[in-house]
Amino acid sequence: MIELLAITDDAGELEPPLRAVRCAGLSVVCAPATNGEVDAEALWRREAVIERLMEDRDLLPVRYGTVVQDEQAAAAAVAPRSEALARALDRVRGAVELSVRAVAAGGDDAKAAGHVSGRDYLRDHAARERLARALHEPLAAAARDSVLHDGPGVLRAAYLVDRGRVDGFVALFRELQREHRELAVVCTGPWPPYSFTGGRES
Amino acid sequence: MRDKVLAGPLDGDLDPFAKPVRSIGTRRFDADPESLERGLAQLVLTIVELLRQLMERQALRRVDSGGLTDEQIERLGRTFMELDRRMAELREQFGLTAEDLNLDLGPLGRLL
Repeated sequence: MIELLAITDDAGELEPPLRAVRCAGLSVVCAPATNGEVDAEALWRREAVIERLMEDRDLLPVRYGTVVQDEQAAAAAVAPRSEALARALDRVRGAVELSVRAVAAGGDDAKAAGHVSGRDYLRDHAARERLARALHEPLAAAARDSVLHDGPGVLRAAYLVDRGRVDGFVALFRELQREHRELAVVCTGPWPPYSFTGGRES
Repeated sequence: MRDKVLAGPLDGDLDPFAKPVRSIGTRRFDADPESLERGLAQLVLTIVELLRQLMERQALRRVDSGGLTDEQIERLGRTFMELDRRMAELREQFGLTAEDLNLDLGPLGRLL
C-alpha cells in the first residue's frame, strides 16, 4: 500500500522512500503507507515532508490518508482528473497558503452567556459578521485567492499569497490586528495550498 | 506549531486557537455501538448546525434591511438564542466540541 502525498508537474528526482508516479504530465509523489496510529506527531511528520517538497516545486497537497494499492492504482486515480489538476497547479504556482483565524478576545463562551434579550443576541452576531468582513476584505484584496472556512469563532480563512508577497501580507495583518483589539487573531503559514486544490473553476 | 505562526495574538496567548487532536484522528469506522452513535450524532448535528448558521445569517440580513418590528426582532433573536443553547446541550451530551461540527464543504464553504 502506498500513500499519496502531493501532485506536481515538476519532474525532479525525489529522495527515497519518496517515489514519483508519472501520469499525463503530472507526477504523483508517493510514500510507503504507514498504518500506525494517527497522532499529532504523525501529522507533523507528513506535513514536514510536503513542506520540504514545496521548497523547490509547486504542488497540490493530497488529502491526508489517501492510500492506494500500488503505483498503477495511483496513476489510475489521477489520470481522469489530470486536466483539472494541471489547471489547479497553475492557479497555485508560485504561491503559498496563509491561514488567518480570529476569535473574540476573552473567549466566545463568556460573551454568549451574557445575552439577556433576543435583540442583543442578534446585534452581537451582526457585529461579529461585520468584524469578520472588516478583517477578511482587505486581506483577500492582498491575496491571489481566498476561501472562507466554516466553524466557530469570528473568522477562519485561507489566503493564497504569492511567495514574494508573504511579508507584505503579514504586515497588513499586523496593521488590522492593531485596529481590532477586540479580537484575538493569529496568522499561520506558509502552508501547502490545502484550501486551493481545485473543485472551483474560478 | 509555533514556528508556523507568522503573527500571533498581541497577548501571545495561542490557547484559544488550539484544537484537540482527538477530533482529527478518530474518524474511522468503529463497530463499537457507542462510537457509532457518537459518529451519527456528529453527522446529524453538523447538518443541523450548518442550517442554523444559514438561517441566522438570513435573519441578520432581514434585520439589517429594516422592515421588521421590534417585537419580530426580539422573537427572532430569542429563537436563535434558544437554538444555540440547545445545540450546546446536545454537543455536550455526545461529548462533541463546536470544532467537531465543522464540515469541510470545499467550494460550498464559499456560500456562507
